[in-house]
Amino acid sequence: METAIKVNQLSKSYTTVKAVDNIDISVCRGEVFGLLGANGAGKSTTIECILGTKKQDGGSVSILGMNPQTNRKKLFERVGVQFQEANYQDKIMVAELCEVTRSLYKTSLNYADLLKQFGLSDKSKSQVSELSGGQKQRLFIVLALISNPEVVFLDELTTGLDSRARRDVWKYLADLKAKGLTIFLTSHFMDEVEALCDQIMILKNGKSIFHGTVREAVAASPYEKFEDAYLWYTDEEEKEHESI
Amino acid sequence: MKAFNTLFKTEFKLSLRGMDMFIFAICMPVMVMVILGIIYGSKPAFDGAGYTFLEQSFGAVATIAICAGGVMGLPLVISDYRHKKILKRFKVTPTSPALILAVQVAIYALYSIVSLVFVYATAAVFFSYQLSGSGLQFLGAYFLVMLSMFSIGLLVGGIAPNIKTASVLASILYFPMLIFSGATLPYEAMPSALQKAADIMPLTQGIKLLKAASLGLPINSVLLPIVVMTVLAVICTGAAIRFFRWE
Repeated sequence: METAIKVNQLSKSYTTVKAVDNIDISVCRGEVFGLLGANGAGKSTTIECILGTKKQDGGSVSILGMNPQTNRKKLFERVGVQFQEANYQDKIMVAELCEVTRSLYKTSLNYADLLKQFGLSDKSKSQVSELSGGQKQRLFIVLALISNPEVVFLDELTTGLDSRARRDVWKYLADLKAKGLTIFLTSHFMDEVEALCDQIMILKNGKSIFHGTVREAVAASPYEKFEDAYLWYTDEEEKEHESI
Repeated sequence: MKAFNTLFKTEFKLSLRGMDMFIFAICMPVMVMVILGIIYGSKPAFDGAGYTFLEQSFGAVATIAICAGGVMGLPLVISDYRHKKILKRFKVTPTSPALILAVQVAIYALYSIVSLVFVYATAAVFFSYQLSGSGLQFLGAYFLVMLSMFSIGLLVGGIAPNIKTASVLASILYFPMLIFSGATLPYEAMPSALQKAADIMPLTQGIKLLKAASLGLPINSVLLPIVVMTVLAVICTGAAIRFFRWE
């Protein structure tokens, strides 16, 4: 299968901390890749280095065969991004933000349809700042998808959403995946990861401590439930410390 | 171009919703013009002057909007958009974060031009003001003032580490320039010591230029202001580009 995202030996340090330590990722077209780990494990830094909004210290990144630093404009016609924090202008309305975002691309979807899919139709005349956390989150997923991308990066996909809305988002993403969309996401919800991801990587202190499928992760752990397995992976070291 | 237009339209609407620029760049200069007109009417600028006080002040009042936009509006909006990571979001789209900055410059330029039109109309309609110098020279000088003031704003907004610093710097630049450069208080009414101090401000030089152009005074007295403004614009724009921080 064709590779959509290829990351080799990615490393990034902040003054004293190694935020990302020699990470290798390969995501095929139409796959959903989940990057997991506790807060501060290096997920966002990894995403930012892949996107080129942060410069890595070492390693190489290619998305759709392009270098995000040197082919930025061409690449982001085909790649959508939702950052962890919502960034928008004061007093801007939902429809205005969609309109502006749409205007940045050569081709785009009808945002009214997208807003409807994500249950935001009646909000298009509201100010973004007046939306609830979950509504904002959905709006920024809409903005990431507005250009009808081939690859989408979703940092903390459903944080702040209620169960119903999360299910709706999953279903919508599963449909897009079936149509060939490649998804790179981070999440703190293991049910979501189980439902969506073909491939996962668990980060701890910037290092990959597991890379494979959800099933493999469970099989290699002493647990039967993925969430338990995940906690087992991320806690391992502390347990070793405790036993000492 | 589609992106520029859409963004311009939206950002301009947002700016109008904010009201501050409407007040500081449009209403305030018109008010100052009206007050000067009422106080001084058609009195000559000084005994034996060939032009009125109002004629002498027109160029100065016309810069109030440039000052408000250039050293208050621009630096604040730039540091705000960087702080809110809006510039970063633009980085992961096919356009560049520079687009949103270009849009802001265009918006503040528009405010300045609209303000100039209103100030001129107010002076012409109510106080029968006429531009006795060259309109073309005046516009040239006006754009030079705009260029140098906006370049200061871009520099401050581009390198201030956070919105608080930007706001402090903007106030330090804005208020003295607004008050002492002659934009609001007539330069001619100030004691000569204050005039000398005010002379170091680029806006003072710009206003001298505008005065000369609007009154049709000889060009030799304006060489220094032209040089000062141009050098300043080049230095500030260069530094802003060189040291600009997107995040």
